Amino acid sequence: MISQFFVLSQRGDHIVFRDYRGEVPKGSAEIFFRKVKFWNDDEAEEAPPVFNVDGVNYIHVKVAGLFFVVTTMVNVSPSLLLELLQRIARVTKDYLGVLNEDSLRKNFILVYELLDEVIDFGYPQTTSTEVLKSYIFNEPIMVDAGRLPPLGPAAMFMQGTKRMPGTAVTKSVVATEPGGKKREEIFVDIIERISVTFSSSGYILTSEIDGTIQMKSYLTGNPEIRLALNEDLSIGRTGSSYDYRSSSGGGTVILDDCNFHESVHLDSFDIDRTLTLIPPDGEFPVMNYRMTQEFKPPFRVTALIEEAGPSRAEVLLKIRADFSANATANTITVQMPVPSYTMRASFELEAGAVGQTTDFKEGSRRLEWNLKKIVGGSEHTLRAKLTFSQESHGNITKEAGPVNMNFTIPMYNASKLQVRYLQIAKKSKAYNPYRWVRYVTQANSYVARL
Amino acid sequence: MSGHDSKYFSTTKKGEIPELKEELNSQYKDKRKDAVKKVIAAMTVGKDVSSLFTDVVNCMQTENLELKKLVYLYLINYAKSQPDLAILAVNTFVKDSQDPNPLIRALAVRTMGCIRVDKITEYLCDPLQRCLKDDDPYVRKTAAICVAKLYDINAELVEDRGFLEALKDLISDNNPMVVANAVAALAEIQDSSVRPIFEITSHTLSKLLTALNECTEWGQVFILDSLSRYKAADAREAENIVERVTPRLQHANCAVVLSAVKIILLQMELITSTDVVRNLCKKMAPPLVTLLSAEPEIQYVALRNINLIVQKRPTILAHEIKVFFCKYNDPIYVKMEKLEIMIKLASDRNIDQVLLEFKEYATEVDVDFVRKAVRAIGRCAIKLERAAERCISVLLELIKIKVNYVVQEAIIVIKDIFRRYPNTYESIIATLCESLDTLDEPEAKASMIWIIGEYAERIDNADELLESFLETFPEEPALVQLQLLTATVKLFLKKPTEGPQQMIQAVLNNATVETDNPDLRDRAYIYWRLLSTDPEAAKDVVLAEKPVISDDSNQLDSSLLDELLANISTLSSVYHKPPESFVSRVKAAPRADDEEFADTAETGYSESPSQGVDGASPSSSAGTSSNVPVKQPAAGSPPPAAMPDLLGDLMGMDNAIVPVDEPAAPSGPPLPVLLPSTTGQGLQISAQLTRRDGQIYYDISFENGTQGVLDGFMIQFNKNTFGLAAGEALQVTPLQPGQSTRTLLQMTPFQNISPGAPNSLLQVAVKNNQQPVWYFNDKIPLHVFFGEDGKMERAGFLEAWKSLPDDNEFTKEFPGSIISSIDATVERLAASNVFFIAKRKNANMDVLYLSAKMPRGIPFLIEVTASVGVPGVKCAVKTPNREMVPLFFEAMEALTK
Repeated sequence: MISQFFVLSQRGDHIVFRDYRGEVPKGSAEIFFRKVKFWNDDEAEEAPPVFNVDGVNYIHVKVAGLFFVVTTMVNVSPSLLLELLQRIARVTKDYLGVLNEDSLRKNFILVYELLDEVIDFGYPQTTSTEVLKSYIFNEPIMVDAGRLPPLGPAAMFMQGTKRMPGTAVTKSVVATEPGGKKREEIFVDIIERISVTFSSSGYILTSEIDGTIQMKSYLTGNPEIRLALNEDLSIGRTGSSYDYRSSSGGGTVILDDCNFHESVHLDSFDIDRTLTLIPPDGEFPVMNYRMTQEFKPPFRVTALIEEAGPSRAEVLLKIRADFSANATANTITVQMPVPSYTMRASFELEAGAVGQTTDFKEGSRRLEWNLKKIVGGSEHTLRAKLTFSQESHGNITKEAGPVNMNFTIPMYNASKLQVRYLQIAKKSKAYNPYRWVRYVTQANSYVARL
Repeated sequence: MSGHDSKYFSTTKKGEIPELKEELNSQYKDKRKDAVKKVIAAMTVGKDVSSLFTDVVNCMQTENLELKKLVYLYLINYAKSQPDLAILAVNTFVKDSQDPNPLIRALAVRTMGCIRVDKITEYLCDPLQRCLKDDDPYVRKTAAICVAKLYDINAELVEDRGFLEALKDLISDNNPMVVANAVAALAEIQDSSVRPIFEITSHTLSKLLTALNECTEWGQVFILDSLSRYKAADAREAENIVERVTPRLQHANCAVVLSAVKIILLQMELITSTDVVRNLCKKMAPPLVTLLSAEPEIQYVALRNINLIVQKRPTILAHEIKVFFCKYNDPIYVKMEKLEIMIKLASDRNIDQVLLEFKEYATEVDVDFVRKAVRAIGRCAIKLERAAERCISVLLELIKIKVNYVVQEAIIVIKDIFRRYPNTYESIIATLCESLDTLDEPEAKASMIWIIGEYAERIDNADELLESFLETFPEEPALVQLQLLTATVKLFLKKPTEGPQQMIQAVLNNATVETDNPDLRDRAYIYWRLLSTDPEAAKDVVLAEKPVISDDSNQLDSSLLDELLANISTLSSVYHKPPESFVSRVKAAPRADDEEFADTAETGYSESPSQGVDGASPSSSAGTSSNVPVKQPAAGSPPPAAMPDLLGDLMGMDNAIVPVDEPAAPSGPPLPVLLPSTTGQGLQISAQLTRRDGQIYYDISFENGTQGVLDGFMIQFNKNTFGLAAGEALQVTPLQPGQSTRTLLQMTPFQNISPGAPNSLLQVAVKNNQQPVWYFNDKIPLHVFFGEDGKMERAGFLEAWKSLPDDNEFTKEFPGSIISSIDATVERLAASNVFFIAKRKNANMDVLYLSAKMPRGIPFLIEVTASVGVPGVKCAVKTPNREMVPLFFEAMEALTK
């Protein structure tokens, strides 16, 4: 089983190091770091999450810019270890409120105490914040999330990919608030990551939604909760895999597959699509789901590149927000690779553009267009003139693109999966905790080909 | 609690250690706790605070759990270096293990197990015994793991104190967490022991299946992984297991899903109903696809596993190819794996979609990924005949973009396509030739040159093209030089005009005189000789038709694939390597009187290959086109008859055929007489089966005691258990009166197998021109079949021993045998391909562990017990083929005589 667990900073410093079996030769953390840093002599190429050096197996994930690593000498389940590493990161975040180098260092004794309960002799024991609470005695020392020093390039790794940036609750689930009483509240987030590939002629080649219903409960006494989803929700595609016609008309939501947290009871799920659970403390996914049923993509992207003279070309990028004006997308980035011999690019924003910036990244030879926000229903265009260092090979569309888009749309979900209601078993009439049901849609791989 | 823990890292100017010492002995609790925290902080940054051992241990006797935990943390770290002082803590540990608070009881047992000091472990036994039966499940689950810890330190103690039985009892515990830990501990102990300790019976099976529904996700993985070793008795039981495991596919934890998939795949082998199998395949598809929505790290593991699964059962994901299309933001290691799977799932039905994707990938930024995408197109062309033309047109489109590495990669795969579909797509050669001067990578150059040589007659300016390469011949890498040499010879044979003639002279000169590369020189000399003696023969050799290559996308051979599939959801399935190739940590149950065993264990380690497994590297596992026989066959497959002549010529011998099929007269110990001269009317025949260099021979000698010459010897073998028959004609020169001769006759097994129970009888008939036919009987010693590959690694031996049921074990005493020296016996056995693995001492007996292997992969796992110099040897064997056991004992008896 697990021989060692350690957490390294981006620079390779030990932040946490625990040896459970004393069988791995010294220096494993350094060996790991060197291997990852110089994988294939190429910093651009990422090391795979599982590899073996001199008989020691290293399994790692990157969370919040930190390397979470375990080593083992035996033929174990790597998915178990990868899940465990993610879970350790989550439990630590539950306890510390924020997960970063600073908070780990400030709370190292608590972290060691946690690790001893989570792993015994290399065997995972429990990663449930709820269960752990009864065995952990150290109290977390809070790090002020607002005053966090920027992590530099690490910031882009902040808290995995499943969470929504900016809205994640940075509050420990165990610490008592400085003000005294804990606020009774529960957060239910429906987070969807959508992947769409448009062909050069604008057809949808592939589309997929990866969704999570995530819960974070600060309710005392762990009351039972009922979560009702769309009544006509159906699971499992019927018939041929690419037959959307039967489904797109009716407006029913058809999931390809879904799975549930172990605390969820599905007794009435088949009848009225409600989930019953007693939420453990801490953040956890109630349900993960996947959908390839056709849906309306929130953005239409059109990109054109045309030669304009011997060593020049013109680019036209157009995005149309195909959702209602009630919703607003934010932090939109559109990137378009251009031919490698592009020397210069000059941009022309639309008239009256606000909160838009453009850039030509010479190193990675791509155009970047950032928009602070896009209101539903609106359309935006960008023109760019490229200057080449040589004449093009006459196949310029092959050498440019595809266009990739990143965005976040709060209070919008593409799948139409909904939480109809969130019921909390009442202890008394006066008991009325805050309930937050939030939707957010993010781009996963949102690509338009040229 | 106030302030920040990080303040404990700050140092003062005064000596740190004395100051801490003072604080640790403070009368105030809080101060002591702060001091211990400072000590721990110092410890974690690598400072040596071991000198404070006694002071810290003094703080151990406290009711404060937080402080106690800190002291325990310190103890685990320093007990090893201060074993004598650690004893001081024992009393507190023992006391804590009886504390009314279950947390303290568990903490004490957990910590004691982590202190790997012999003296402490002795004191651990009593508390552990109590805690295994504790009322509190938290204590019991901690105690269960503690048994595994203790076994790692002192296995004998664990067995003697009956902890194994206690652990087995915990499988029936009412708390699923306890069950899970007991299973984990037992599985680990079993892994390091030769003897069967943890065997799943149908009774434990149902208990485990029940616990599965209730325990934590981690416990579910432990239980599922243990269940995967269980071999169901029949299809019904297999279906039953699968039915209970299938709900796990809905679990949010990917490890649970993959472990469940493993069990279902294993049990599916036993299920006979095609409906059930089809239904299971349908059920597995969505959860497998859902794994690809997880974090990229898990996606990678899932993809490596799916790669194996689709090789075995392509139908499961046949309709899901779209989910393997690369996403823009996939890490490169995920993209590479997706490409592999796309190739495997590509079919006539979806090839258009797939090609569209590959074409798109081939214009992306990452060079390695682009190359792989181009190769993928080529592999699809080779795999799908009907799509080959479309694949080629995509490759040509890519070549036209003129991105250097794309062009080179495309040429390499096009060469393979030519080899797969000869005389079909040569019309594109002209397009390829346009890119000639941009080639700078050896493999691409070599491929292009091969194409020019192979199709020289259809390329008008082939000579000019080749000539342009020849200028730099001496600087080219060997790969390119070899191709240039062969291509020039081909050109010359196809167009024997002046230009090529000059070229060939230049090349041959370059490749013989000017080079240090023996491969190149040898090939050049052979061509030279061929061309100068018989150009027609040269044509037959150099321009011979090449075998058509085939699709390599299912590149793992089926036995390795099956082994890897049995290891789904383990590191082995990620590296695509069998576990023994990267796991070196195998311990045999070392008992106290086992020192010798332990000694040999050390050498066992060094023998087992623990080389770095770089399987995780996507590129090394890619396979790409390396499995396509790229090696040029030009000189490789000449008609066999020409070879000796050629060699003879080269060696300056006058067509002297080396008599390869007549082995040099063997010598050796006298052979047993089978046909005495009294019976044979003066002819005496002695013979014995023997094994040399992996071949079975009949070592036979004839002694002519008659008055006349005997000639025309022939031999015939009757049907026998092993179907042994003569593999060649018996070659005996006419025997003069009084003369004798001895020869080795090559034997071929499994020719004419006689049915019925195995026996060792070999009936032989010999005739000559002068006498009647002689019949005599011989015995087949089983050990002639033992292969040179019969040596097993310790891990493999343990694994195999455990996997065989107990009723496949047989024991026999050889009262007449005696071992006078272990080494001599081991050497003698090894000469007969019975390989030594390990030995141990049991009382005054020596126990040897050996292995041997019959053809068709039948292993013998052998345990030999004897006292040196005392007659009587006990032999135990475990083998899947019980029928062979009597013969095996006969052979072993003969070998230990």
